Amino acid sequence: MMRSLLTLLAALTLWAAPATSQQGGPLRLEITEGVIEPMPVAVPDFVADTPAAQEFARNIARVIAADLTGTGLFREIPAEAHISRITSFESPVQFADWRAINAQAMVTGAVNVDGAGRVVVRFRIYDVFAGQELGQGQQLVGQRDGWRRIAHKVADQVYARITGEGGYFDSRVVFVSESGPKNQRAKRLAIMDYDGANIQFLTDAASIVLAPRFSPTGDRVLYTSYETGFPRIYVLDVASVGRRALPTLDGTMAFAPRFSPDGRTVLYSLTQGGNTDLYSMDIGSGASTRLTTAPSIETAPSYSPDGRQIVFESDRSGTPQLYIMSASGGEARRISFGEGRYGTPVWSPRGDLVAFTKQSKGRFHIGVMRVDGSEERLLTASFLDEGPTWAPNGRVIMFTRETQGAQGEARLYSVDITGRNLRQVATPGGASDPSWGPLQN
Amino acid sequence: MNTGQIISGAGHLALIGWALFGGAFRSDPPPFEVVEAMAISSEDYAAILAASTAPEAVANVNTPEPPAPGENAPALASEADSAPAQSQPPANPAPPPDPVPSPPEPVPAPAEVADTAPEVTPPAEDVAALVPQVSPRPQPRPAPRVAPEPVAPSEPDVRVDEVTRPEVAPDAGAVVEEAPQEATAPEEAATEIVTEAERPRDPAPTSSPRPRARPAVAAARPDPAPAPTPAPPTEAATRPAPAPAPTPAPAPTPPATDRGAVSDALAAALGQGTPTPERPAGPPLTAGEKDALRVAVQRCWNVGSLSSEALATTVVVSVPMFENGKPDTGGIRMLNHSGGSAAAAQQAYEAARRAIIRCGNDGFNLPPEKFEQWRDIEMTFNPERMRIK
Repeated sequence: MMRSLLTLLAALTLWAAPATSQQGGPLRLEITEGVIEPMPVAVPDFVADTPAAQEFARNIARVIAADLTGTGLFREIPAEAHISRITSFESPVQFADWRAINAQAMVTGAVNVDGAGRVVVRFRIYDVFAGQELGQGQQLVGQRDGWRRIAHKVADQVYARITGEGGYFDSRVVFVSESGPKNQRAKRLAIMDYDGANIQFLTDAASIVLAPRFSPTGDRVLYTSYETGFPRIYVLDVASVGRRALPTLDGTMAFAPRFSPDGRTVLYSLTQGGNTDLYSMDIGSGASTRLTTAPSIETAPSYSPDGRQIVFESDRSGTPQLYIMSASGGEARRISFGEGRYGTPVWSPRGDLVAFTKQSKGRFHIGVMRVDGSEERLLTASFLDEGPTWAPNGRVIMFTRETQGAQGEARLYSVDITGRNLRQVATPGGASDPSWGPLQN
Repeated sequence: MNTGQIISGAGHLALIGWALFGGAFRSDPPPFEVVEAMAISSEDYAAILAASTAPEAVANVNTPEPPAPGENAPALASEADSAPAQSQPPANPAPPPDPVPSPPEPVPAPAEVADTAPEVTPPAEDVAALVPQVSPRPQPRPAPRVAPEPVAPSEPDVRVDEVTRPEVAPDAGAVVEEAPQEATAPEEAATEIVTEAERPRDPAPTSSPRPRARPAVAAARPDPAPAPTPAPPTEAATRPAPAPAPTPAPAPTPPATDRGAVSDALAAALGQGTPTPERPAGPPLTAGEKDALRVAVQRCWNVGSLSSEALATTVVVSVPMFENGKPDTGGIRMLNHSGGSAAAAQQAYEAARRAIIRCGNDGFNLPPEKFEQWRDIEMTFNPERMRIK
């Protein structure tokens, strides 16, 4: 009898123990579903410390807001909806007024023009609902004509502070500017800010130029020119616009160049005797090394960020597909197996994805896949999309889209790697073959 | 046995005997009417019956005479129905003899059955079935917002809000008791990102071919794919503005006095814990109450601006609550994280904190009588399912 009672008591104790401990602890919830939508952000005009800074204060705030909203990750709350006005950079922020209009982040700043004529910008970033400043306030100083770069740098800081990854606003793009009818199109190399501002032409329209590629530091550009009748590779210094041809054998065609991550080596395709293979060239010595020997066409090589591997396009299987091999050559591994033809692969700066052009069922696509070929995702679809290039942070891809017909024109577009936020990049005329440079210092 | 008992027993016996034999349990017969009767002969009875009950009208009715077989006899209806010639089936040749039943073929072994899908030949250009041959997978509408539940686009003059509210407008000629309220609805949302490449090119048919007489294979008709209908608003979305709690809502945490802090410290040192006032603990929260809180938070958890690394980071956040259902924003803190760097965890934590503060601004819909159950909440924000959307 006594043993039965003890057994019953022990069973009751064991049954009650978890309940007691659960009741004493906090309530636990797991949140696994959220929403994906642009974050509402307020960018009121910066405060002008001097009358000379009045215009800068307004324009810098507008460029910051345009940079942020252009990503598709932020949505600016228009100034008409603002309840509070920022009249002093040092005054405390009335968070309740900004919460009332659902501003989740806010950027405030002040602009001054110092005695040397330089523009001085101070700014702060706030998490409105937490009522806290995000990080420390910063100050940037630049020349008067460089105010856009200052604004881009502020936007980069805001982007990095909120998203946790680097920005891409203070960067430039080199591309081929096109003008004239389709059968007599003039092509020139041009360089511009990522948002289409500050366009400068690097070459004239005397000869056809193709496929410009930025160096990792952004100070040089590789491109292919038909100046001699055969395609040859040139390297151009952006600051001086001086150029020189890379050494190649007479009677050969060299094209599709791309810098290595350290900027010392150039990968390119060389057609010799009817066969196209991949080569690498040491820029300093001009010595070339053959990387492939297959009878098929190998072209469009691109280094991995660590410089150890190469992704390229080859038709060795019968149709153009993507392959990866060691940077020193050797056996290649095919990574694309989908329906259609793949080309122009570019390794992401993060190293996790490869962007490519795909032709399938009469349409062209820009897509991304993992470096093992998995998780292929087509981002765009049109009559002709080609030539992807990565933003410095690996989040955005710019490419060429050409419209159909005799009046068709090539333009630059950008798209997020999720497939959202497809936008045309503002250029004065036709534009193709973009290459996105690194963040500027 | 005393005299009293004897008298009592005799009395009881007498009473029982009277009840049994005296008719106490016998009910009175139902009342009935007594009628005097007399005996009559059957002839008289027949005469009386014929004179009094036989209706006279019966004899005056022109009853149709029963049809007699003869020359005026109508044709039989069955003959008239079968007379039309057009209903006669065409003369068929001699029907083929019924096939002689043959013994069933032996069932082939399962291994010989080819496990291949039947080939479906696409219909010719000028032939169409009444039902689509292929039911494509419904594509979600591209929307600027991606949420766990799709939300149909609202009316153009409806303000976007977290909750759905009917419009309340002053009526002309009526006494207005409610303040005018603008109609609100949740922002349009799809459940996943649809890229340009995945978007259907043109849902409208390019031609309208003549339908066939009947479907070739009725059994092959695919079930119509369910149309993507917007899900009904969630409980959190449809609930009205939270009513004031029956218990007096305290103002934001009153600063603890020195005396209270000292007593708390003393109590903690003595192992007595914090002396908390008597509050209703109540039963644990139901699954529905927990789900309502979860839905309320995840509607504000915006991961669209997070980096890839932050989207791979799970953070556990401690949320102290006030009795009015609002979070103590100053006490929200990250307990731990996993899957990413400290910097990525900070971004993920800030997004989680924004969600808690934004959607808890008006107070979460939690039962006040169970305050002790939810005064401290640990929320684990796991963005794993939001990465590929």
